[in-house]
Amino acid sequence: MPIKADVQLDAKGLACPMPIVRTKKAMNELTEGQVLEVLATDKGSKADLVAWSKTVGHQYIGTTEDGEVLAHYIRKGNPETTEADEKTFAQTISNERIVGKSGIVLDVREAAEYAFGHVPGAISMPMGELEARMKELDMDQEIYVICRTGTRSDMAAQTLSNAGYTKVYNVLPGMTGWTGELETSI
Amino acid sequence: MSNKVAIIASNGGLFDAYKVFNIATAAAATDKEVQIFFTFEGLNLIHKQAMHALEMPAGKEHFAQGFADANVPTIPQLVEMAQELGVKFIACQMTMDVMGLTSADFVEDIEVGGAVTFLEFAKDATPTLTF
Repeated sequence: MPIKADVQLDAKGLACPMPIVRTKKAMNELTEGQVLEVLATDKGSKADLVAWSKTVGHQYIGTTEDGEVLAHYIRKGNPETTEADEKTFAQTISNERIVGKSGIVLDVREAAEYAFGHVPGAISMPMGELEARMKELDMDQEIYVICRTGTRSDMAAQTLSNAGYTKVYNVLPGMTGWTGELETSI
Repeated sequence: MSNKVAIIASNGGLFDAYKVFNIATAAAATDKEVQIFFTFEGLNLIHKQAMHALEMPAGKEHFAQGFADANVPTIPQLVEMAQELGVKFIACQMTMDVMGLTSADFVEDIEVGGAVTFLEFAKDATPTLTF
């Protein structure tokens, strides 16, 4: 199943350090939160991009392999904002407590983040698509909104609440603290 | 933690050039501030003519095909890329004097300086690398 990214970079056939140099340049064109897909055949590119993302402050999401071609997914971070952003939505629930509950687990991370691991049965609705797609959600059901660290889900929960959804909960701490089962769609 | 990477390039072969410029461009692409001090044979690496014809170590010439197959960028390409990424080149004044070279013999936008110029930059760089 193809994984959705905002921008694609073709670095196939290039040797080290070119995949990193090209990724660096391509990343300049993205806005915070967008996902870059890097196609490469350099076998060292995976380890390099993991280290590069960590050093520069982006989120390395994962890599898929199709024959010789590696597809890496990186989400642009912002060194200025910290994970400790203030969360304002009052109705929250812990990761552990949503296990086995009836209702909807709504994953508002980017499609690529969802693809590499999500709560089994969770529905993917990235932040950018929420306004347009929220009508797909059943108002009568509990909606547990989850993201990576609780920041995007805080905003999403607020958006849903403003639109009249009342049974909305922000799941904390989010996928970074998730120790339960994971489902992938890659 | 320091955000600087200091590199001394003191050898002038093709392998030396790749070691220097691969590390330099990778570091610059990782948002590091990078300076390379070119001294003695290392000056070949930024010499307008010499950089196009750097030699392989004796007996290793058969690697030429490997370089072509791996689609490795040429040294002039890496030099251009390094400069584009903001890597600063410093040519050693003393070596230039000894070899009768001037700034005009080198690629554009280099700085000429002495050992202290580099040491000043390198004093809080982590790492400092020598090739």
